[in-house]
Amino acid sequence: MTVTTDAVALGEWVACGWPGKVPVGGHWDTVILGQQVRATRTAADSYEVFTLDRTGTPGRQLPVQSRYCCIFTTLSEPKRPLPEISEFAEPDRRLVNSGCVGVNTSPYRLIENFLDMAHFPFVHTDILGAEEQTEVASYKVEHRKEVDEIWATDCQFFQPAASKAATGGQMTKYVYRIMSPFSIMLYKTVHGDPGRNDAICLFIQPRDETDCLAYMPMALVDAVSTTESMIDFQQTIFLQDRVILENQRPALMPLDLTAEIPTKADVGSVTFRRWLKQSGIWFGTSEKAAA
Amino acid sequence: MDRSLFRANARLEKARLAVVLGDVEAGRREMQQSQHDAAGARDCWIAVGLDAQIRPQSSHPVIVAGRELALWRGETGPAKVWDDQCPHRGMRLSFGFVRDGTLRCLYHGWGYGEDGRCVSIPAHPELAPPKTICAGAHAVATKYGIIWSNLSAARAATVPEIPAVTDWRPVRSLYIHRSAAVVLAGIAAFDYGAPAEPATPAADVYVVTLGAQTQLLLALQPVEANKTGVHIASSGVDATADRLALVRQMHSLRDAIEAGTGPSR
Ligand code: FES
Ligand SMILES: [Fe+2]
Repeated sequence: MTVTTDAVALGEWVACGWPGKVPVGGHWDTVILGQQVRATRTAADSYEVFTLDRTGTPGRQLPVQSRYCCIFTTLSEPKRPLPEISEFAEPDRRLVNSGCVGVNTSPYRLIENFLDMAHFPFVHTDILGAEEQTEVASYKVEHRKEVDEIWATDCQFFQPAASKAATGGQMTKYVYRIMSPFSIMLYKTVHGDPGRNDAICLFIQPRDETDCLAYMPMALVDAVSTTESMIDFQQTIFLQDRVILENQRPALMPLDLTAEIPTKADVGSVTFRRWLKQSGIWFGTSEKAAA
Repeated sequence: MDRSLFRANARLEKARLAVVLGDVEAGRREMQQSQHDAAGARDCWIAVGLDAQIRPQSSHPVIVAGRELALWRGETGPAKVWDDQCPHRGMRLSFGFVRDGTLRCLYHGWGYGEDGRCVSIPAHPELAPPKTICAGAHAVATKYGIIWSNLSAARAATVPEIPAVTDWRPVRSLYIHRSAAVVLAGIAAFDYGAPAEPATPAADVYVVTLGAQTQLLLALQPVEANKTGVHIASSGVDATADRLALVRQMHSLRDAIEAGTGPSR
Protein backbone atom coordinates (compact mmCIF):
# COMPACT_ATOMS: atom_id res chain seq x y z
CA MET A 1 0.00 0.00 0.00
CA THR A 2 1.35 3.42 -0.89
CA VAL A 3 0.00 6.84 -0.05
CA THR A 4 -2.11 8.31 -2.84
CA THR A 5 -0.74 11.15 -4.94
CA ASP A 6 -4.25 12.55 -5.46
CA ALA A 7 -3.89 16.12 -4.19
CA VAL A 8 -7.66 16.60 -3.94
CA ALA A 9 -8.11 13.56 -1.72
CA LEU A 10 -5.06 14.48 0.36
CA GLY A 11 -6.57 17.91 1.06
CA GLU A 12 -9.63 16.57 2.87
CA TRP A 13 -10.26 15.94 6.54
CA VAL A 14 -10.83 12.24 7.14
CA ALA A 15 -11.97 10.31 10.19
CA CYS A 16 -9.38 7.99 11.73
CA GLY A 17 -10.96 6.91 15.04
CA TRP A 18 -13.17 8.15 17.84
CA PRO A 19 -12.65 9.80 21.23
CA GLY A 20 -12.23 7.25 23.97
CA LYS A 21 -11.10 4.54 21.59
CA VAL A 22 -8.06 3.96 23.82
CA PRO A 23 -7.24 4.98 27.44
CA VAL A 24 -5.15 8.10 28.07
CA GLY A 25 -1.57 7.38 27.03
CA GLY A 26 -2.66 4.67 24.59
CA HIS A 27 -2.43 4.77 20.81
CA TRP A 28 -3.72 3.02 17.73
CA ASP A 29 -2.25 2.54 14.27
CA THR A 30 -4.37 2.88 11.20
CA VAL A 31 -4.19 3.87 7.53
CA ILE A 32 -5.61 6.86 5.66
CA LEU A 33 -5.41 7.18 1.86
CA GLY A 34 -2.69 4.54 1.84
CA GLN A 35 -0.62 6.28 4.53
CA GLN A 36 0.12 4.47 7.78
CA VAL A 37 -0.56 6.76 10.78
CA ARG A 38 -0.44 6.52 14.58
CA ALA A 39 -2.97 8.32 16.80
CA THR A 40 -2.09 8.82 20.45
CA ARG A 41 -4.41 9.92 23.24
CA THR A 42 -2.21 12.37 25.14
CA ALA A 43 -4.89 13.53 27.62
CA ALA A 44 -8.60 12.97 28.26
CA ASP A 45 -9.62 15.16 25.31
CA SER A 46 -6.39 15.49 23.40
CA TYR A 47 -5.06 13.44 20.51
CA GLU A 48 -1.95 13.56 18.33
CA VAL A 49 -1.54 11.94 14.94
CA PHE A 50 1.78 11.21 13.21
CA THR A 51 2.58 9.53 9.94
CA LEU A 52 4.50 6.26 10.23
CA ASP A 53 7.12 5.14 7.75
CA ARG A 54 7.52 1.55 6.59
CA THR A 55 9.58 0.62 9.63
CA GLY A 56 6.94 2.07 11.98
CA THR A 57 8.99 5.15 12.85
CA PRO A 58 6.90 8.29 13.43
CA GLY A 59 7.36 11.01 10.79
CA ARG A 60 5.56 14.33 10.55
CA GLN A 61 2.77 15.44 12.85
CA LEU A 62 -0.67 15.91 11.30
CA PRO A 63 -3.46 18.32 12.25
CA VAL A 64 -6.15 16.77 14.49
CA GLN A 65 -9.71 17.68 15.43
CA SER A 66 -12.05 15.81 17.73
CA ARG A 67 -15.63 16.53 16.73
CA TYR A 68 -18.92 14.75 16.06
CA CYS A 69 -17.79 11.65 17.99
CA CYS A 70 -14.82 11.22 15.62
CA ILE A 71 -11.12 12.06 15.45
CA PHE A 72 -10.30 13.76 12.15
CA THR A 73 -6.94 14.31 10.54
CA THR A 74 -5.57 15.33 7.15
CA LEU A 75 -2.40 14.60 5.18
CA SER A 76 -2.17 18.00 3.50
CA GLU A 77 -3.50 21.56 3.69
CA PRO A 78 -7.28 21.16 3.97
CA LYS A 79 -9.08 23.34 1.47
CA ARG A 80 -12.26 23.35 3.53
CA PRO A 81 -12.94 23.29 7.29
CA LEU A 82 -14.87 20.48 8.94
CA PRO A 83 -18.59 21.05 8.35
CA GLU A 84 -20.73 22.79 10.95
CA ILE A 85 -23.32 20.39 12.36
CA SER A 86 -25.14 22.33 15.05
CA GLU A 87 -27.31 19.42 16.23
CA PHE A 88 -24.34 17.88 18.03
CA ALA A 89 -24.30 20.92 20.35
CA GLU A 90 -28.00 20.84 21.33
CA PRO A 91 -28.24 19.95 25.03
CA ASP A 92 -31.09 17.43 24.83
CA ARG A 93 -29.58 15.39 21.98
CA ARG A 94 -28.45 11.82 22.49
CA LEU A 95 -25.05 11.53 20.84
CA VAL A 96 -24.54 7.98 19.68
CA ASN A 97 -21.13 6.71 18.65
CA SER A 98 -21.26 3.22 17.21
CA GLY A 99 -17.59 2.77 16.33
CA CYS A 100 -16.82 1.82 12.77
CA VAL A 101 -17.46 -0.94 10.26
CA GLY A 102 -15.09 -2.05 7.48
CA VAL A 103 -16.46 -2.07 3.94
CA ASN A 104 -14.58 -3.16 0.86
CA THR A 105 -15.67 -0.67 -1.74
CA SER A 106 -14.92 2.84 -2.91
CA PRO A 107 -15.83 5.68 -0.49
CA TYR A 108 -18.21 7.12 -3.08
CA ARG A 109 -20.27 3.93 -3.38
CA LEU A 110 -20.81 4.33 0.38
CA ILE A 111 -21.86 7.97 0.01
CA GLU A 112 -24.29 7.11 -2.79
CA ASN A 113 -25.82 4.27 -0.82
CA PHE A 114 -26.38 6.62 2.12
CA LEU A 115 -28.00 9.16 -0.20
CA ASP A 116 -30.27 6.62 -1.86
CA MET A 117 -33.93 6.10 -0.94
CA ALA A 118 -34.82 3.76 -3.81
CA HIS A 119 -33.15 0.78 -2.13
CA PHE A 120 -35.12 0.97 1.14
CA PRO A 121 -37.91 -1.45 0.12
CA PHE A 122 -35.45 -4.04 -1.16
CA VAL A 123 -32.47 -3.88 1.17
CA HIS A 124 -34.19 -2.69 4.37
CA THR A 125 -37.50 -4.47 3.78
CA ASP A 126 -40.16 -3.72 6.41
CA ILE A 127 -37.84 -1.35 8.26
CA LEU A 128 -36.97 1.65 6.08
CA GLY A 129 -39.19 0.65 3.17
CA ALA A 130 -41.99 -1.67 2.08
CA GLU A 131 -42.47 -3.45 -1.19
CA GLU A 132 -45.94 -1.94 -1.68
CA GLN A 133 -44.53 1.60 -1.68
CA THR A 134 -41.40 1.75 -3.79
CA GLU A 135 -41.93 5.07 -5.54
CA VAL A 136 -39.35 7.80 -5.06
CA ALA A 137 -41.10 11.16 -5.34
CA SER A 138 -39.11 13.88 -7.04
CA TYR A 139 -36.85 15.89 -4.78
CA LYS A 140 -34.55 18.89 -5.18
CA VAL A 141 -30.79 18.80 -5.43
CA GLU A 142 -28.54 21.83 -5.33
CA HIS A 143 -24.86 22.59 -5.15
CA ARG A 144 -24.44 25.22 -2.42
CA LYS A 145 -21.44 27.00 -3.78
CA GLU A 146 -20.69 29.12 -0.71
CA VAL A 147 -19.94 25.96 1.32
CA ASP A 148 -19.25 23.66 -1.65
CA GLU A 149 -21.78 21.13 -0.40
CA ILE A 150 -24.50 19.20 -2.20
CA TRP A 151 -27.94 19.30 -0.60
CA ALA A 152 -30.91 17.12 -1.48
CA THR A 153 -34.12 18.52 -0.03
CA ASP A 154 -37.86 17.71 -0.07
CA CYS A 155 -37.06 14.01 0.07
CA GLN A 156 -39.70 11.72 1.51
CA PHE A 157 -40.31 8.03 1.72
CA PHE A 158 -42.86 5.74 3.36
CA GLN A 159 -41.24 3.76 6.17
CA PRO A 160 -42.77 0.91 8.17
CA ALA A 161 -40.32 1.28 11.12
CA ALA A 162 -38.20 4.37 10.53
CA SER A 163 -36.18 4.33 13.75
CA LYS A 164 -35.83 2.67 17.13
CA ALA A 165 -38.47 5.07 18.49
CA ALA A 166 -41.03 4.48 15.71
CA THR A 167 -44.19 2.54 16.60
CA GLY A 168 -45.72 2.27 13.14
CA GLY A 169 -45.45 3.29 9.50
CA GLN A 170 -44.86 6.93 8.63
CA MET A 171 -43.99 9.19 5.72
CA THR A 172 -40.43 10.14 6.67
CA LYS A 173 -38.96 13.40 5.42
CA TYR A 174 -35.27 13.51 4.65
CA VAL A 175 -32.68 16.14 3.90
CA TYR A 176 -29.29 14.91 2.69
CA ARG A 177 -26.11 16.89 2.83
CA ILE A 178 -22.86 15.82 1.12
CA MET A 179 -20.15 17.74 2.95
CA SER A 180 -17.03 16.34 1.30
CA PRO A 181 -16.11 13.37 -0.91
CA PHE A 182 -15.77 11.37 2.32
CA SER A 183 -18.65 12.68 4.44
CA ILE A 184 -22.40 12.91 4.20
CA MET A 185 -25.22 13.35 6.68
CA LEU A 186 -28.97 13.26 6.74
CA TYR A 187 -31.71 14.92 8.72
CA LYS A 188 -34.83 12.84 9.12
CA THR A 189 -38.24 13.33 10.71
CA VAL A 190 -38.27 12.61 14.42
CA HIS A 191 -40.94 10.20 15.52
CA GLY A 192 -43.57 12.17 17.47
CA ASP A 193 -41.92 15.59 16.99
CA PRO A 194 -42.25 16.76 13.40
CA GLY A 195 -40.58 20.07 14.30
CA ARG A 196 -37.18 18.45 14.84
CA ASN A 197 -34.83 16.22 12.91
CA ASP A 198 -32.54 13.39 13.85
CA ALA A 199 -29.06 14.04 12.50
CA ILE A 200 -27.14 10.99 11.27
CA CYS A 201 -23.65 11.27 9.80
CA LEU A 202 -21.50 8.98 7.72
CA PHE A 203 -17.80 9.77 7.91
CA ILE A 204 -15.59 7.56 5.79
CA GLN A 205 -12.01 6.70 6.52
CA PRO A 206 -10.60 5.62 3.14
CA ARG A 207 -7.77 3.27 4.05
CA ASP A 208 -7.30 2.64 0.38
CA GLU A 209 -9.27 3.04 -2.82
CA THR A 210 -11.65 0.16 -2.13
CA ASP A 211 -11.02 -0.39 1.57
CA CYS A 212 -12.98 1.88 3.89
CA LEU A 213 -14.02 2.24 7.50
CA ALA A 214 -17.44 3.79 8.02
CA TYR A 215 -18.28 5.84 11.14
CA MET A 216 -21.89 6.71 11.76
CA PRO A 217 -22.27 9.13 14.67
CA MET A 218 -25.81 10.30 15.39
CA ALA A 219 -27.38 13.19 17.30
CA LEU A 220 -30.87 11.94 18.06
CA VAL A 221 -34.00 13.29 19.72
CA ASP A 222 -35.01 10.16 21.61
CA ALA A 223 -35.27 10.16 25.39
CA VAL A 224 -36.63 6.63 25.59
CA SER A 225 -34.58 4.07 23.65
CA THR A 226 -31.42 2.63 25.17
CA THR A 227 -28.14 3.56 23.53
CA GLU A 228 -27.50 -0.12 22.89
CA SER A 229 -30.78 -0.55 21.02
CA MET A 230 -30.11 2.56 18.91
CA ILE A 231 -26.67 1.25 17.96
CA ASP A 232 -28.13 -2.16 17.22
CA PHE A 233 -30.77 -0.64 14.94
CA GLN A 234 -28.15 1.33 13.03
CA GLN A 235 -25.84 -1.67 12.69
CA THR A 236 -28.65 -3.91 11.44
CA ILE A 237 -29.33 -1.38 8.70
CA PHE A 238 -25.68 -0.93 7.89
CA LEU A 239 -24.89 -4.63 7.64
CA GLN A 240 -27.73 -4.97 5.14
CA ASP A 241 -26.13 -2.19 3.11
CA ARG A 242 -22.69 -3.76 3.34
CA VAL A 243 -23.82 -6.88 1.50
CA ILE A 244 -24.88 -4.63 -1.37
CA LEU A 245 -21.83 -2.37 -1.22
CA GLU A 246 -19.30 -5.18 -1.40
CA ASN A 247 -21.08 -6.74 -4.38
CA GLN A 248 -21.32 -3.76 -6.70
CA ARG A 249 -19.17 -4.01 -9.82
CA PRO A 250 -16.84 -2.34 -10.36
CA ALA A 251 -15.95 -1.37 -6.79
CA LEU A 252 -14.25 1.79 -8.05
CA MET A 253 -16.73 4.56 -8.79
CA PRO A 254 -17.26 5.23 -12.51
CA LEU A 255 -17.42 9.00 -12.96
CA ASP A 256 -18.27 8.69 -16.64
CA LEU A 257 -22.02 9.26 -16.48
CA THR A 258 -22.68 6.80 -19.31
CA ALA A 259 -21.00 3.89 -17.51
CA GLU A 260 -24.11 3.17 -15.45
CA ILE A 261 -27.75 4.05 -16.04
CA PRO A 262 -29.40 6.48 -13.62
CA THR A 263 -33.06 7.44 -13.44
CA LYS A 264 -34.83 10.43 -11.93
CA ALA A 265 -34.51 8.97 -8.43
CA ASP A 266 -30.72 9.08 -8.88
CA VAL A 267 -30.46 12.81 -9.46
CA GLY A 268 -28.58 13.10 -6.14
CA SER A 269 -26.06 10.49 -7.25
CA VAL A 270 -25.68 12.09 -10.67
CA THR A 271 -25.01 15.49 -9.11
CA PHE A 272 -22.52 13.91 -6.73
CA ARG A 273 -20.61 12.20 -9.56
CA ARG A 274 -20.50 15.41 -11.58
CA TRP A 275 -19.24 17.32 -8.53
CA LEU A 276 -16.55 14.68 -7.89
CA LYS A 277 -15.44 14.84 -11.50
CA GLN A 278 -15.25 18.63 -11.45
CA SER A 279 -13.18 18.53 -8.27
CA GLY A 280 -10.51 16.58 -10.15
CA ILE A 281 -10.44 13.77 -7.58
CA TRP A 282 -9.45 10.38 -8.97
CA PHE A 283 -8.68 8.37 -5.84
CA GLY A 284 -11.31 5.58 -5.61
CA THR A 285 -12.66 6.21 -9.12
CA SER A 286 -12.26 4.24 -12.34
CA GLU A 287 -11.06 7.41 -14.12
CA LYS A 288 -7.37 6.95 -13.46
CA ALA A 289 -6.47 6.54 -17.12
CA ALA A 290 -7.69 10.08 -17.70
CA ALA A 291 -5.90 11.50 -14.65
CA MET B 1 -15.28 -9.42 9.48
CA ASP B 2 -16.24 -12.66 7.76
CA ARG B 3 -18.52 -13.64 10.59
CA SER B 4 -20.41 -10.36 10.52
CA LEU B 5 -20.78 -10.68 6.77
CA PHE B 6 -22.35 -14.06 7.36
CA ARG B 7 -24.74 -12.49 9.83
CA ALA B 8 -25.52 -9.76 7.37
CA ASN B 9 -26.13 -12.34 4.68
CA ALA B 10 -28.48 -14.24 6.94
CA ARG B 11 -30.43 -11.08 7.66
CA LEU B 12 -30.55 -10.26 4.01
CA GLU B 13 -31.79 -13.74 3.22
CA LYS B 14 -34.70 -13.12 5.55
CA ALA B 15 -35.38 -9.79 3.95
CA ARG B 16 -35.25 -11.43 0.58
CA LEU B 17 -37.89 -13.98 1.55
CA ALA B 18 -40.15 -11.18 2.69
CA VAL B 19 -40.00 -9.36 -0.60
CA VAL B 20 -43.06 -9.89 -2.73
CA LEU B 21 -41.86 -8.69 -6.08
CA GLY B 22 -40.88 -10.03 -9.44
CA ASP B 23 -37.63 -11.28 -10.88
CA VAL B 24 -34.99 -9.43 -12.67
CA GLU B 25 -33.54 -10.60 -15.91
CA ALA B 26 -30.82 -8.55 -17.45
CA GLY B 27 -29.55 -8.39 -21.00
CA ARG B 28 -26.50 -6.44 -21.98
CA ARG B 29 -25.73 -3.33 -23.86
CA GLU B 30 -23.95 -3.50 -27.17
CA MET B 31 -21.13 -1.39 -25.82
CA GLN B 32 -20.44 -3.66 -22.87
CA GLN B 33 -20.45 -6.61 -25.20
CA SER B 34 -17.79 -5.23 -27.48
CA GLN B 35 -15.69 -4.32 -24.45
CA HIS B 36 -15.91 -7.86 -23.16
CA ASP B 37 -15.08 -9.37 -26.51
CA ALA B 38 -12.08 -7.13 -26.68
CA ALA B 39 -11.19 -8.54 -23.28
CA GLY B 40 -10.84 -11.90 -24.99
CA ALA B 41 -14.01 -14.01 -24.90
CA ARG B 42 -13.33 -16.88 -27.30
CA ASP B 43 -16.01 -18.15 -29.66
CA CYS B 44 -16.59 -21.46 -27.90
CA TRP B 45 -19.17 -23.11 -25.67
CA ILE B 46 -18.20 -23.54 -22.05
CA ALA B 47 -20.01 -25.71 -19.53
CA VAL B 48 -21.23 -23.55 -16.66
CA GLY B 49 -23.35 -25.99 -14.63
CA LEU B 50 -25.61 -29.01 -14.54
CA ASP B 51 -29.12 -28.22 -15.64
CA ALA B 52 -30.63 -30.19 -12.74
CA GLN B 53 -28.75 -28.09 -10.21
CA ILE B 54 -30.30 -24.80 -11.21
CA ARG B 55 -33.70 -24.81 -9.56
CA PRO B 56 -36.59 -22.75 -10.88
CA GLN B 57 -36.63 -19.21 -9.42
CA SER B 58 -32.99 -19.06 -8.43
CA SER B 59 -29.90 -17.06 -9.37
CA HIS B 60 -26.28 -18.14 -8.81
CA PRO B 61 -22.80 -16.69 -9.30
CA VAL B 62 -20.59 -18.41 -11.87
CA ILE B 63 -17.08 -17.43 -12.96
CA VAL B 64 -15.70 -18.28 -16.40
CA ALA B 65 -12.06 -17.38 -16.95
CA GLY B 66 -12.26 -14.67 -14.32
CA ARG B 67 -15.44 -13.19 -15.69
CA GLU B 68 -18.34 -12.92 -13.25
CA LEU B 69 -21.68 -14.23 -14.51
CA ALA B 70 -25.15 -14.80 -13.09
CA LEU B 71 -26.75 -18.16 -13.90
CA TRP B 72 -30.48 -18.05 -13.25
CA ARG B 73 -33.78 -19.64 -14.12
CA GLY B 74 -37.34 -18.31 -14.09
CA GLU B 75 -40.39 -20.31 -12.98
CA THR B 76 -39.97 -22.48 -16.07
CA GLY B 77 -37.82 -22.67 -19.18
CA PRO B 78 -34.11 -22.88 -19.81
CA ALA B 79 -31.44 -21.30 -17.60
CA LYS B 80 -29.94 -17.93 -18.56
CA VAL B 81 -26.38 -16.66 -18.37
CA TRP B 82 -25.92 -12.94 -17.87
CA ASP B 83 -23.16 -10.60 -16.83
CA ASP B 84 -23.18 -10.47 -13.05
CA GLN B 85 -23.70 -6.72 -13.03
CA CYS B 86 -26.88 -4.68 -13.01
CA PRO B 87 -26.80 -1.86 -15.57
CA HIS B 88 -28.22 0.56 -12.97
CA ARG B 89 -25.58 0.69 -10.23
CA GLY B 90 -23.55 -2.46 -10.85
CA MET B 91 -25.04 -4.77 -8.20
CA ARG B 92 -24.32 -8.43 -8.90
CA LEU B 93 -27.42 -10.02 -10.43
CA SER B 94 -26.53 -13.39 -8.92
CA PHE B 95 -27.86 -11.87 -5.68
CA GLY B 96 -31.15 -11.14 -7.43
CA PHE B 97 -34.46 -12.90 -6.95
CA VAL B 98 -36.91 -14.29 -9.48
CA ARG B 99 -40.55 -13.31 -9.67
CA ASP B 100 -43.06 -13.50 -12.50
CA GLY B 101 -40.48 -14.66 -15.02
CA THR B 102 -38.20 -11.70 -14.41
CA LEU B 103 -34.92 -11.44 -12.53
CA ARG B 104 -34.97 -8.62 -10.01
CA CYS B 105 -31.88 -6.89 -8.80
CA LEU B 106 -31.52 -6.94 -5.03
CA TYR B 107 -30.41 -3.31 -4.73
CA HIS B 108 -33.30 -1.31 -6.20
CA GLY B 109 -35.48 -4.09 -7.53
CA TRP B 110 -35.16 -3.33 -11.24
CA GLY B 111 -36.80 -6.19 -13.14
CA TYR B 112 -35.34 -7.74 -16.28
CA GLY B 113 -37.28 -9.97 -18.69
CA GLU B 114 -35.88 -13.16 -20.18
CA ASP B 115 -34.41 -11.30 -23.16
CA GLY B 116 -32.44 -9.08 -20.79
CA ARG B 117 -34.56 -5.98 -21.22
CA CYS B 118 -35.41 -3.91 -18.20
CA VAL B 119 -39.17 -4.11 -17.67
CA SER B 120 -39.66 -2.42 -14.32
CA ILE B 121 -38.08 0.30 -12.23
CA PRO B 122 -39.85 0.28 -8.86
CA ALA B 123 -38.74 3.83 -7.96
CA HIS B 124 -40.87 4.99 -10.90
CA PRO B 125 -43.83 2.59 -11.14
CA GLU B 126 -45.56 4.70 -13.82
CA LEU B 127 -42.53 4.79 -16.09
CA ALA B 128 -42.07 2.37 -18.99
CA PRO B 129 -38.32 1.65 -18.86
CA PRO B 130 -36.47 2.78 -22.00
CA LYS B 131 -35.77 -0.11 -24.37
CA THR B 132 -32.07 0.64 -24.25
CA ILE B 133 -31.73 -0.55 -20.64
CA CYS B 134 -30.59 -4.11 -21.00
CA ALA B 135 -28.65 -6.61 -18.90
CA GLY B 136 -25.78 -8.51 -20.56
CA ALA B 137 -27.34 -11.75 -21.82
CA HIS B 138 -25.16 -14.48 -23.35
CA ALA B 139 -25.98 -17.37 -25.63
CA VAL B 140 -27.05 -20.47 -23.69
CA ALA B 141 -27.72 -24.06 -24.72
CA THR B 142 -28.79 -27.01 -22.59
CA LYS B 143 -27.46 -30.32 -23.86
CA TYR B 144 -26.51 -33.64 -22.22
CA GLY B 145 -27.93 -32.27 -18.97
CA ILE B 146 -25.28 -29.56 -18.98
CA ILE B 147 -25.77 -25.80 -19.36
CA TRP B 148 -23.35 -24.33 -21.92
CA SER B 149 -22.68 -20.70 -22.68
CA ASN B 150 -20.84 -18.85 -25.41
CA LEU B 151 -19.54 -15.51 -24.16
CA SER B 152 -18.34 -14.18 -27.49
CA ALA B 153 -20.44 -12.05 -29.80
CA ALA B 154 -19.44 -14.12 -32.84
CA ARG B 155 -21.22 -17.33 -31.84
CA ALA B 156 -20.20 -19.23 -34.95
CA ALA B 157 -19.10 -22.25 -32.92
CA THR B 158 -21.58 -25.00 -32.11
CA VAL B 159 -22.11 -26.88 -28.86
CA PRO B 160 -19.79 -29.92 -28.79
CA GLU B 161 -21.39 -32.86 -30.64
CA ILE B 162 -21.37 -36.18 -28.81
CA PRO B 163 -22.89 -38.78 -31.13
CA ALA B 164 -24.84 -41.94 -30.23
CA VAL B 165 -25.63 -41.25 -26.60
CA THR B 166 -29.04 -39.79 -25.79
CA ASP B 167 -29.64 -40.68 -22.15
CA TRP B 168 -27.13 -38.54 -20.27
CA ARG B 169 -27.86 -38.20 -16.56
CA PRO B 170 -26.25 -35.59 -14.32
CA VAL B 171 -23.68 -36.83 -11.81
CA ARG B 172 -21.94 -33.95 -10.03
CA SER B 173 -20.15 -30.67 -10.53
CA LEU B 174 -16.69 -30.67 -9.00
CA TYR B 175 -14.48 -27.66 -8.39
CA ILE B 176 -10.77 -28.47 -8.45
CA HIS B 177 -8.00 -26.14 -7.34
CA ARG B 178 -5.88 -26.69 -10.43
CA SER B 179 -5.67 -25.16 -13.90
CA ALA B 180 -7.84 -26.55 -16.71
CA ALA B 181 -4.76 -28.04 -18.39
CA VAL B 182 -3.74 -29.93 -15.24
CA VAL B 183 -7.31 -31.10 -14.69
CA LEU B 184 -7.56 -32.35 -18.28
CA ALA B 185 -4.29 -34.25 -17.92
CA GLY B 186 -5.51 -35.70 -14.62
CA ILE B 187 -8.76 -36.87 -16.20
CA ALA B 188 -6.78 -38.58 -18.97
CA ALA B 189 -4.41 -40.26 -16.52
CA PHE B 190 -7.08 -41.45 -14.08
CA ASP B 191 -7.68 -45.17 -13.60
CA TYR B 192 -11.44 -45.67 -14.07
CA GLY B 193 -11.25 -49.33 -13.05
CA ALA B 194 -12.15 -50.59 -16.51
CA PRO B 195 -10.59 -50.32 -19.93
CA ALA B 196 -11.27 -46.71 -20.90
CA GLU B 197 -11.55 -45.28 -24.38
CA PRO B 198 -11.13 -41.54 -24.17
CA ALA B 199 -12.29 -38.98 -26.70
CA THR B 200 -12.15 -35.21 -26.74
CA PRO B 201 -14.97 -33.95 -28.97
CA ALA B 202 -14.01 -30.35 -28.18
CA ALA B 203 -11.46 -28.45 -26.19
CA ASP B 204 -12.24 -28.79 -22.49
CA VAL B 205 -14.66 -31.68 -23.08
CA TYR B 206 -13.72 -35.26 -22.30
CA VAL B 207 -15.75 -38.41 -22.98
CA VAL B 208 -14.71 -41.70 -21.41
CA THR B 209 -16.21 -44.95 -22.69
CA LEU B 210 -16.01 -47.79 -20.18
CA GLY B 211 -16.88 -51.18 -21.62
CA ALA B 212 -19.90 -51.59 -23.85
CA GLN B 213 -22.51 -49.64 -21.91
CA THR B 214 -21.03 -46.90 -19.82
CA GLN B 215 -19.95 -43.44 -20.83
CA LEU B 216 -18.86 -40.45 -18.80
CA LEU B 217 -18.95 -36.89 -20.05
CA LEU B 218 -16.67 -34.44 -18.27
CA ALA B 219 -16.98 -30.81 -19.33
CA LEU B 220 -14.50 -28.29 -17.99
CA GLN B 221 -15.16 -24.74 -16.86
CA PRO B 222 -11.99 -22.69 -16.44
CA VAL B 223 -12.77 -20.53 -13.40
CA GLU B 224 -9.53 -18.81 -12.50
CA ALA B 225 -5.90 -19.56 -13.23
CA ASN B 226 -5.87 -22.19 -10.51
CA LYS B 227 -9.47 -23.30 -10.31
CA THR B 228 -11.49 -25.43 -12.69
CA GLY B 229 -15.08 -26.69 -12.62
CA VAL B 230 -15.87 -30.14 -14.00
CA HIS B 231 -19.50 -30.87 -14.86
CA ILE B 232 -20.07 -34.59 -15.12
CA ALA B 233 -22.86 -36.58 -16.80
CA SER B 234 -23.13 -40.33 -17.26
CA SER B 235 -24.86 -42.78 -19.53
CA GLY B 236 -25.50 -46.44 -18.70
CA VAL B 237 -25.09 -46.01 -14.96
CA ASP B 238 -28.58 -46.37 -13.54
CA ALA B 239 -28.68 -48.52 -10.42
CA THR B 240 -28.59 -46.36 -7.31
CA ALA B 241 -25.59 -48.19 -5.87
CA ASP B 242 -23.69 -47.75 -9.13
CA ARG B 243 -24.45 -44.05 -9.20
CA LEU B 244 -23.24 -43.60 -5.64
CA ALA B 245 -20.06 -45.49 -6.49
CA LEU B 246 -19.58 -43.23 -9.50
CA VAL B 247 -19.90 -40.11 -7.35
CA ARG B 248 -17.29 -41.52 -4.96
CA GLN B 249 -15.03 -42.27 -7.88
CA MET B 250 -15.37 -38.71 -9.17
CA HIS B 251 -14.44 -37.36 -5.75
CA SER B 252 -11.34 -39.51 -5.77
CA LEU B 253 -10.60 -38.16 -9.25
CA ARG B 254 -10.68 -34.65 -7.78
CA ASP B 255 -8.55 -35.68 -4.80
CA ALA B 256 -6.00 -37.34 -7.09
CA ILE B 257 -5.71 -34.23 -9.27
CA GLU B 258 -5.37 -31.94 -6.25
CA ALA B 259 -2.84 -34.26 -4.64
CA GLY B 260 -0.97 -34.36 -7.91
CA THR B 261 -0.33 -38.08 -7.44
CA GLY B 262 -1.30 -39.13 -10.92
CA PRO B 263 -3.37 -42.29 -11.61
CA SER B 264 -5.44 -43.70 -8.76
CA ARG B 265 -8.81 -45.22 -8.06
S1 FES C 1 -28.17 -1.67 -9.02
FE1 FES C 1 -29.62 -3.06 -9.76
S2 FES C 1 -31.46 -2.03 -9.52
FE2 FES C 1 -30.01 -0.58 -8.85
FE1 LIG D 1 -29.26 1.46 3.06
